Amino acid sequence: MWFIDNLIMGFSVALTPINLVYAFIGVFLGTIIGVLPGIGPMTGIALLIPITFGLPPTSAIILMAGIYYGAMYGGSTTSILVNAPGESSSVVTCFDGYAMAKQGRAGPALAAAAIGSFIAGTFATLVLMLIGPWVAAFALNFGPPEYFSLMLAGLTIVTSLAGRSLVKALLATTIGLAIGTIGIDLQSGVPRYTFGNPELLDGLEFLVVAIGLFALSEVLVNLADMRQAVQERLAIKGSLWLTREDWKRALPAFLRGTLSGFFVGGIAGAGAAVASFFSYGIEKKMAKHKDELGKGAIEGVAAPEAANNAAAGGALIHLLCLGIPGSGTTAIMLGALMMLGLQPGPLLFQQQPQFVWGLIASMYIGNVMLLVLNLPLVGMWVKILDIPLYLLVMFIILFSFLGVYTMNNSVQDLFLLLVFGVIGYLLRRLDIPASPIILGMVLGDLMEQALRQSLLISDGSLAIFVTRPFSVFFLILAAVSITNPYWKYIGVGLRRLFGRAAA
Amino acid sequence: MKKEDRIASIVFFFLALAYLVLAFVTIPKPSVLQILGPEAFPKVIGLTMLVLSGLYIVQSFRSTGQEDDARAAIIGAEEKLTTRVDIRTMALMLALMLAYVFLFEPLGYPIATLLMFVTGIFILDRRHWKRDTIIAFIASFGFYFVFSLVLRVQLPAGPLKLLGL
Repeated sequence: MWFIDNLIMGFSVALTPINLVYAFIGVFLGTIIGVLPGIGPMTGIALLIPITFGLPPTSAIILMAGIYYGAMYGGSTTSILVNAPGESSSVVTCFDGYAMAKQGRAGPALAAAAIGSFIAGTFATLVLMLIGPWVAAFALNFGPPEYFSLMLAGLTIVTSLAGRSLVKALLATTIGLAIGTIGIDLQSGVPRYTFGNPELLDGLEFLVVAIGLFALSEVLVNLADMRQAVQERLAIKGSLWLTREDWKRALPAFLRGTLSGFFVGGIAGAGAAVASFFSYGIEKKMAKHKDELGKGAIEGVAAPEAANNAAAGGALIHLLCLGIPGSGTTAIMLGALMMLGLQPGPLLFQQQPQFVWGLIASMYIGNVMLLVLNLPLVGMWVKILDIPLYLLVMFIILFSFLGVYTMNNSVQDLFLLLVFGVIGYLLRRLDIPASPIILGMVLGDLMEQALRQSLLISDGSLAIFVTRPFSVFFLILAAVSITNPYWKYIGVGLRRLFGRAAA
Repeated sequence: MKKEDRIASIVFFFLALAYLVLAFVTIPKPSVLQILGPEAFPKVIGLTMLVLSGLYIVQSFRSTGQEDDARAAIIGAEEKLTTRVDIRTMALMLALMLAYVFLFEPLGYPIATLLMFVTGIFILDRRHWKRDTIIAFIASFGFYFVFSLVLRVQLPAGPLKLLGL
């Protein structure tokens, strides 16, 4: 079959000792990040980007991808044993996972989470391998107008699913776009919003903003409950494997979670947290023992954990095949890859095959590593929770400053880091999501260039965006994603207009 | 919505306004006519931001937040941050980090980091200060040597340079 050669090449890249080490470091750090409450995959990847500076791009992406799906595995452990989710995508796992642990079935719960993650992660990698090259080849036909519309759709879809208030999320996106305009305009060479500061000519460093908003802000958030007592955790009881009865109940849930997570979280760009909530909703409707859900049903652990891993894998399809991040975490990864001088997008499969296939092969390997790391060694991960919060906070400060300084050796960057840390904290207080800011910042320049090229083709007419079918399709997607919460008002408005007759 | 939101929405409105005005005033138009010059994109962003912050103002004064909660339940948004703020600790930590920024180069990485770490421990929790000071020492000097000797990344040495380290 056609992909065998590519896969062999991929494994020849991924199985080199050095890349195996990076994959292991990635999943290892990812699991730690997943276990630690308060530090999510976005924080983790942002903090660890500086490590990747000296690496070849392939090793860098293997490391980052390992952190990404490693965090998805690790997040479930604390949900089950401590009832404290390590990330937002593991919140749902608490419902049934903790209930199972209280009944003395922590072992099967942990096993279901790890096996579900493994099945879903492997499935997502498989699909990435099978359809990725086709999607990329198809996207090669896209011109600037399609790309502009696609980026607009990507921005609005991610934004429409971030945070509690749509207006706040959209505002965050425009703030990100505005931050992106700081610096020299690529086309005309004119400085914008630099206020005569020479260090701003290159624009605000992406990493300064990302580490400030996601890592340093955590420091300030955590200061509030610093002296909190150590949370009580349940012992791991029961065998760390599933019985025949467990398998019978969990297997359909694995499959439902994998598929729904992949399509909702990955392909539709809704992200891992939404995917896990969505799949829990499906279980409530379709599981055989739905009355037990919430009281310790294995389906309630199996499906969401499969869903969030499938979503993480699915989000990589956007990043690798289209060059458009489908979530906050992949936006950070895109920023990091661009810092390494790589432009993800459809050309990647042709120009950098060893990069793409090396990553795919390493994801198969990483999923196996995670299964081994997470089941027999689960006791070790729980011990991480013994690290007092204040020490963790001090280490976040240390890593944030170290990472930002090593980038440019600039004290001004350190100062800006602190500023963005405070901004990040204020945004959290105001319930304004930060991931759209990163997304806007990363996509802003690309969108402006695509817009210019499109208008150059059309001689200045905006009609080019509505006369090309795929561009129209993406624009409709964008419009639907931000207006659908308000559709119900159309009905209400019509009824008011035409009296109550219609009602 | 909360009072914080009202203040924030007004701040955002004026920030958006400033951004938009600066787009008109400070970005020079190129002498050659261009499709979408350097000022065009910022103008669009600024205008959108202005409209959105206007909506935010309206919501912050009129909405009850019930709609947001309904939305949050569907998409599984993160919990709102409601913990009480410990102003004193926060101010101390911010001052500490600010001092760290300014002492980063003059004192050199290891010494500045050691001081920052130990001071931070004494601000946050001093019950195990002996153990934690050892951790701080290992972390600051350890990272310095790993970065400068193993990874060959230059970190400011500060007075340590006199010792030939």
